[in-house]
Amino acid sequence: MARELTRHEATDLAPAPGGGFADSLRRFLEDRLNLISTALALALIAAALLAPVISPYPPDLVAPESQWQGPSWDHWMGTDQYGRDVLSRVLYGARVSLFVGIVTVVLAMLIGVGLGALAGYLGRVADEILMRVVDVFMSIPGIVLALAIVGLLGPSLTNIIIALAIYRIAQFARVTRGSVLSVMAQDYIGACRAIGMGGRRIILLHVLPNCIGPIIVLATVLLGNVILTEATLSFLGMGIQPPTASWGVMIADGNEYLMFAPWISIFPGIFLLLTMMAFNLLGDGLRDHFDPRGRSVL
Amino acid sequence: MPFDLIARRILFAVPTLFGVAVIVFALGYLAPGDPALAALGLTSEGYTSFDAAEVERVRAELGLDQPGYVRFAEWLGGALVGDLGRSYVQPFAVSDLIGRALPVTLLLIAGTMTLAIVIGVPLGIVSAVWQGRWGDYLARVIAILGVSTPTFWLALILILVLAYTFPIFPISASLERDGPIALVLPILAIATHPAALIARMMRASMLEVLAQDYIRTATAKGLSAYRVVMTHALRNAINPVITVIGFQFGNLIGSAVAVEQIFALPGMGSLLIGAIYDKDVLVTQGVVLAIALVFILANLIVDLLYTLIDPRIRL
Repeated sequence: MARELTRHEATDLAPAPGGGFADSLRRFLEDRLNLISTALALALIAAALLAPVISPYPPDLVAPESQWQGPSWDHWMGTDQYGRDVLSRVLYGARVSLFVGIVTVVLAMLIGVGLGALAGYLGRVADEILMRVVDVFMSIPGIVLALAIVGLLGPSLTNIIIALAIYRIAQFARVTRGSVLSVMAQDYIGACRAIGMGGRRIILLHVLPNCIGPIIVLATVLLGNVILTEATLSFLGMGIQPPTASWGVMIADGNEYLMFAPWISIFPGIFLLLTMMAFNLLGDGLRDHFDPRGRSVL
Repeated sequence: MPFDLIARRILFAVPTLFGVAVIVFALGYLAPGDPALAALGLTSEGYTSFDAAEVERVRAELGLDQPGYVRFAEWLGGALVGDLGRSYVQPFAVSDLIGRALPVTLLLIAGTMTLAIVIGVPLGIVSAVWQGRWGDYLARVIAILGVSTPTFWLALILILVLAYTFPIFPISASLERDGPIALVLPILAIATHPAALIARMMRASMLEVLAQDYIRTATAKGLSAYRVVMTHALRNAINPVITVIGFQFGNLIGSAVAVEQIFALPGMGSLLIGAIYDKDVLVTQGVVLAIALVFILANLIVDLLYTLIDPRIRL
């Protein structure tokens, strides 16, 4: 090793003390804003999981006699043009949003982190090629790329997830590559090499675990972002197709009756807003948590 | 501004654009359905053997019988000289359709950007200067809401509130008939998100600068708080904000797509959606390519602007 570690670096490198995660979580939740955003996100996930149990009506129950009813004790969020209960559809919509969001982000993370790590670790030509490809995908605005893919290839669920994931793969690859490069410059990676460790072990055991912070932050922010993009696609008729309850489809439905039944659009929009807020704030909180000196950009 | 720098950046953009062209063409190529049928105004259901000869003729006319790489080369060659083919559905060249739609979208985005900066920068400064006081909290709550509000939903809410409930703005204004007033609600809807982002960035950046020694020096010299903030701090705090503004361009185009559709503005978004519905592949490809080109150019301009404002930065 070229130089001795300073004391500060040495403590940085020391393994987390026992109970590290619980400790870390407690510190994270001490911030009131983090507590609120975590609670909001958990409530949303609970609503999605429990939709079949807590929905007052089946989401597709058509009741022509009760169409366009305003919010009341029977229908907390009113009914739509087919007399379907808006609250029940909003709850089922949360399932669709979260499912598409989580599958997309996990898919994009697996591929993007893999590619980014490879580019950062291999460097040279591999890095150059991958980053140029990332540039290409990132120079088409996400929603435009998604619209083009779904529009030309057809709005199946698979195509929607692919369309949403491609742009995010590029984002994950870029962020991971940056983190990998900065970790690779650390002395301990040199030490790993010096003791003859293989490339795969170095990446998986020593490089990636130290890049996890920015990746988690990105995943959180992108979850909200993907849910919004899916809603926008569905709103434009290029995403989830009716009659499946999805927030974007519901807002589009209500658009036609905005003048006399605004609740059809308003409530799914509020849920979308709360979802975005939860994941934006959570992303901010996690960023401060992992990198207290970093600046929140979002 | 050194010209070799500009030239180098433009040169770097060429392979990126080529990559975009490959993707855009591939999507059209992989699209199910026969563009020749779309050109004839037929769906595959209405396609009978009776039309076969006619379909074959149109297919040959459109060059669809050629292998993929030939079609790509011809399409790209045309694109280089501004010829993106003719719409299968409308009697216009794709470049003419884009030429008519692009100014509308650019006008929308320019208006949005201006409003976002005019609201976001002061909001961020006030928030930073009043850090921890109620004004700061209020500004931050507004910013969080602004960042989290779905643009297309906000557009509907604005119509509901500012056109139906309080009829301040016309419900359906056309840009040609009513002029700029048709852009007010769309701009309000799209600007909220970037204004909030700019405010948050401005606040964070300003707080960092205000903690610097030279700010204390300026204050110690007896300068008024206003002068310290506006002349000493702002100049140093504005850079990260400009980066955010640059990054926002792509998002704005994305927001514009839905909002144009809602307000029936004849911009790139409406053109894209219409083309996708009509299975008008050449128009879809042309619009996506044009949007990517504008996006790349915008980023280029922001990068160059960045070096202009902060001479320490080299690209």
